[in-house]
Amino acid sequence: MPAKTIVHLVDDTTAGGVTRVIDFMLASPEMAGLGRHRVVVVPRGRFSAPALDDDIIVSHLSVSWRNLPQLVALRARYADRTLIHVEHSYTAAFTGLKVRHRPRFFALLRTAYSLFDRLVAVSEAQGRWLSERGLVRREALAVIPSCVDLAPFLRMPPRYGTPRVIGAIGRFDEQKGFDILIRAFRETRNPDIRLHLIGDGADRVALEALAAGDDRISFQSFSPDPASVMSKLDLIAMPSRWEAYGLVALEARAAGRPLLVSRVDGLEDHVAAGARAVSSNTVESWREAIARAVEAGPALHIGTARAREEAQRRQRETPRLWNALIDGARGATSRDAA
Amino acid sequence: MPKASIVVPAYNVAATLAETLRALLRQTFDDYEIVLVDDGSTDATAAIAAPFEGARFRIVSQSNRGLAGARNSGIAAARGDYIGFCDSDDLWHPAKLERHVRHLDSRPDVGVSFSGSAMIDETGKPLGLSQRPMLRGIDAAHIFRRNPVGNGSAPVIRRAALDAIAWRPAGEYTRDWWFDETFRQSEDIECWLRMALTTDWSFEGIPGDLTLYRINSGGLSASTEAQLRAWERLVEKLSPLAPGFFARHTPAARAYQLRYLCRRAISDGDATAAGRLAKHSLLSSRRPLWEEPAKSATTLAAALVLGGLGSDRFHSLRAALGKRGLPTNETS
Repeated sequence: MPAKTIVHLVDDTTAGGVTRVIDFMLASPEMAGLGRHRVVVVPRGRFSAPALDDDIIVSHLSVSWRNLPQLVALRARYADRTLIHVEHSYTAAFTGLKVRHRPRFFALLRTAYSLFDRLVAVSEAQGRWLSERGLVRREALAVIPSCVDLAPFLRMPPRYGTPRVIGAIGRFDEQKGFDILIRAFRETRNPDIRLHLIGDGADRVALEALAAGDDRISFQSFSPDPASVMSKLDLIAMPSRWEAYGLVALEARAAGRPLLVSRVDGLEDHVAAGARAVSSNTVESWREAIARAVEAGPALHIGTARAREEAQRRQRETPRLWNALIDGARGATSRDAA
Repeated sequence: MPKASIVVPAYNVAATLAETLRALLRQTFDDYEIVLVDDGSTDATAAIAAPFEGARFRIVSQSNRGLAGARNSGIAAARGDYIGFCDSDDLWHPAKLERHVRHLDSRPDVGVSFSGSAMIDETGKPLGLSQRPMLRGIDAAHIFRRNPVGNGSAPVIRRAALDAIAWRPAGEYTRDWWFDETFRQSEDIECWLRMALTTDWSFEGIPGDLTLYRINSGGLSASTEAQLRAWERLVEKLSPLAPGFFARHTPAARAYQLRYLCRRAISDGDATAAGRLAKHSLLSSRRPLWEEPAKSATTLAAALVLGGLGSDRFHSLRAALGKRGLPTNETS
């Protein structure tokens, strides 16, 4: 039997994280065992589906009312093909903060997901939310946490000891909550600790203004080599307001860096794997969490070591989970994921 | 495990506690427990509660932690999937728990189920006044402006929704916090707003005045200034969670808060404070004027009349007109 072909559909506006996850699928030898992968970029908001002759179609497209006609067209044109959707964006905390009309939003998600044979949640926490809210049939749902190539991080010597340089990596955007982190860090009086913000985005000027006057805080641009950035940090902080999974958290774990995360959405997965939870995402909680992590120093080792091992396991698991999904989906009789 | 728990925070409530507990024991829904938290009372509260102890009634005693601290200890001890709250001077309608359980059972996305309330006086007599909040289509902005949950004896909350906002501050070793115990006023709205902004649990009301909410003529002990400070601290605390939201909605919410405090000042006969609060409310936002013209106009008129007549003559006038329509010690 010839190798199956798998096409990954992405938006022209797809976020960087999604691109990296797909790059990993294309480059990983284990993922290549599933079949021949390729990527097709489709513009958002079209009313027709592109011509595809692949056996399996995996959508990484964004779900919106505007993009719904394209998803319907995809189902109509490939009625007999296996259609899988990966939900990279939406979460409980996103809905809480950004969605004003929830019944309408949930109706959109149910409608969109019903067009696919299987729906992939990118974290256990997101999967729980999708099924608790009744957005997808339980048997159509698969949880496959996102993964990228962790090899350069797993090679790094771990960072045990008293953390001094705290890093925050990501887009400078409301979602990432770096404003909360800067406010909290400024309230810590420890002169020995540093905060490095690594990234770029629309909020850069606002964040720089928040940090002005505290010379323990510095800004750096994204680096083409994320591992070398990580190697200079002692502890990673993720105060995200919402987060479907959190690849930076996975990389920090793989690198053996202590990790502080807010308790939202997919970041719960990292807590379960050994990261430290900051239990409410307020300035006060972050100030306390930073102070405690710096004091705890060596006491962070056990969690950090466990988180690293779990990251390694995650990397091994990913192709297996995809394999099970694709095998299972081929035999599926139902066409309806919602 | 009972399906529902009712948490009753109690601090020096010997006068009203027995009536509250009798009403809670008369609920038509059967599968529930009552957790009374004696928050370091120094009066006969413990002695009055003791005879009620039994299969469905438990007492948790602690040294005084305040209302938020008492509610938190109640939540920590509660075993139900749904947790209702009843302050120890208020009364629940016999069908209240049954209706909220039915609501939460049928609407898995609703985290906070609440109802309207009818006001009663110190002797338990109905005042003919009701809190009739908006029941549906409630978003975080509406909660911030109008707090539809209304009072601390109105909501029945899904345990899962409470646990989504639980946290453990530094120095707390025994249990989590759900309400922020550093607040002595505005602890309710702080909690609701935090839940609305950081989780996707919905708030929804059911029809009927299912809570009897007691108005004390003495009013709350806290001054309007202390209440305003607590409210501003809430804004300051939660703003970093959603800066855009607070930038958009704080002026109107502040205008409503000031209007509420103005009404309290009027009912306390404090003309200076009432005038100042009315002015600041108008300056903060005109939104209450067009959203709730009648109530806003009555409040402004009353503040002016109080200023002109002085407290004594104002109260004779109010007595002559009857209480209806004129500001009294309500909650919003």
